[in-house]
Amino acid sequence: MGNNSKSLRNSSPHSSRREFIKKTSLGAGAAISAPYVITSNALGADDVPPASDRIVMGGVGIGNMGRGDQGAFLGRKDVQYVAVCDVRTNAREEAKRKVDDKYQNTDCTEYNDFRELMGRTDIDAIHVATPDHWHALMVIEACRNGKDVYCQKPETRTLAEGPAMVQAARRYSRVVSGGSQRVLQDYRKTVEPCWNGELGTIKSINVNVGPLSQDCNLPAETQPDTIDWDLWLGPAPWAPYNKARCDGNFGTSGGSWRSYIDYSGGGMTDWGAHHFGGATFAIDVRELQPEEVVYHEDENYLTFRYPGGKELTHNKPNTGNMVVVGTPGEKIDAKPLPSYKGTGGIYGDFIECVKTREKPFRDIEFGINTVAVSHLGIIAYQLKRSLKWDAAAQQFPDDAEANRFLDRARREPWTL
Amino acid sequence: MLDQALEALKTYDWGSDLAPVKAIDEAILSSADDGAARSELEKALAAVLDSDASRDAKDVVCRRLMQIGTAACVPALAKCLTDENLSHMARYALERIQAPEAAKSLRDALDSVSGNLKVGVIGSLGARKDADSAAQLAPLLGDSDTKVARAAAIALGDIQTVTAAKALGTAKPSDESVKIAAVDGSLACAEAMLAEGNKGEAMKLYKGLLANSPAKHVKLAVTRGMLACAGK
Repeated sequence: MGNNSKSLRNSSPHSSRREFIKKTSLGAGAAISAPYVITSNALGADDVPPASDRIVMGGVGIGNMGRGDQGAFLGRKDVQYVAVCDVRTNAREEAKRKVDDKYQNTDCTEYNDFRELMGRTDIDAIHVATPDHWHALMVIEACRNGKDVYCQKPETRTLAEGPAMVQAARRYSRVVSGGSQRVLQDYRKTVEPCWNGELGTIKSINVNVGPLSQDCNLPAETQPDTIDWDLWLGPAPWAPYNKARCDGNFGTSGGSWRSYIDYSGGGMTDWGAHHFGGATFAIDVRELQPEEVVYHEDENYLTFRYPGGKELTHNKPNTGNMVVVGTPGEKIDAKPLPSYKGTGGIYGDFIECVKTREKPFRDIEFGINTVAVSHLGIIAYQLKRSLKWDAAAQQFPDDAEANRFLDRARREPWTL
Repeated sequence: MLDQALEALKTYDWGSDLAPVKAIDEAILSSADDGAARSELEKALAAVLDSDASRDAKDVVCRRLMQIGTAACVPALAKCLTDENLSHMARYALERIQAPEAAKSLRDALDSVSGNLKVGVIGSLGARKDADSAAQLAPLLGDSDTKVARAAAIALGDIQTVTAAKALGTAKPSDESVKIAAVDGSLACAEAMLAEGNKGEAMKLYKGLLANSPAKHVKLAVTRGMLACAGK
């Protein structure tokens, strides 16, 4: 535990599921001598599954996107939401209040340190919406602790984190979903003509997104006592507190963590996770990673070449976002379009898969392949040259300089 | 331009303009095909680490040495490994410099650091999959500092040599966080053995894990591994 981290736990981190159910059934304030009453909450109702059939969940990183994710899971009748974790006091308290209001009790446990939440054996699944530099570490730790995970996009901060996350998910047979709801919902007009054969053989698609994240050298500001700064930074290099450094707003051009290289790849990974996700879905290369990134120096854009010949261009001049090039006049057979399972969009898809143990729509491997496009592109722009990529080996062949950008040393005491 | 930027690093600190950093980055890019210029730049950057420049300036330097550093800058980086304020950024460079001198500097630092700094050094050796450090890391599985023991377990799971597998397979941690890491490391070693066709050794590891009444998700991983060993 970090020196500054405060334990806020008000129940044992290893309390069992039975203990949890017992606690929610009786209510925290029940007197010891009170008769044992099994409430409707525990037994369920016509439209509410009994407690034993609900997915017990907690959330880590509950501000901004986490707030939305929490609301979606909390609103489900097949979820029992029991714990919130955030290094910001205000976000944490607001999140707890929301849960307690929903269940009309005070049982939701608050944590400042995610490791305490991870240690609870009564929790089946967690959702993670911390800044990006924490994602891999938390997903892997959750898998080691036997939890299924819904992790916000972009799923990784470095290329090397991707395979480690997939390995952890597969090792422990965990359901791990990435978090771009837009891939299926926003790009239907692009995706459907590709999959139903209208455009013939697909050759390429263009994505316009950016910018890349930048160095941050903001001055020190007085650190408020409502944030555990050491834990916010976590594996990222130490830097003094500055509100603009850690603000969770969605800006990628300064004034938010999404703008700075230690925490994010900028718009290239943030919106990139959506756009590249939609694009790789449209041209059906979600299961692959590019084998080459061509840097077009004159016009400063990229072409990602996939095995099989399909191409994805990035910021190609005079080309619209999500514009597909097919084979005019050719009509090919339609393929069945993958979709969400269960009900309730990407959240329902995750919960359904937790129950059935199927792979979710944005299975972690698809999420990783998507964000790999962003990372490969960032390295090519940074080095201002083309790159070969061996996806199986997760290396740039014979390119020692590029291989240095595969990963970053994590600040102690954090390791993957 | 570069000279001015390097001069500016002497007074560079949080809140300073990023112009000198950008100038150094330009120099890195423009020297991509000029080994002599790169060496000069590396030497100049390493010299900042030996100066009384600010933590922020040294942070800037370590990030750039991550990209262009060679064995030549390892001594300057290695000196920082024992400094609480600089150890991480020294590793930021050393972890990614492929020269064997970089790995050796991390191994050499193991006995000079403790607590979080030791955890960091262990993590970097693991990230490098440094087989030569397995014998040094193995006894750390029983370290009284559970953070050190946990880091050693994760690193040995990354290293995946026979020494690493043996150490993980015989470890008897009592702390829950170390136990989880040791199990994960053992599974990683067993999977690597299986991938190499060494089914007998993988099976030994799996059987050892199963004997310790593992949690359901671990039991699942072990069962799947044992079935793979049996060719099913």
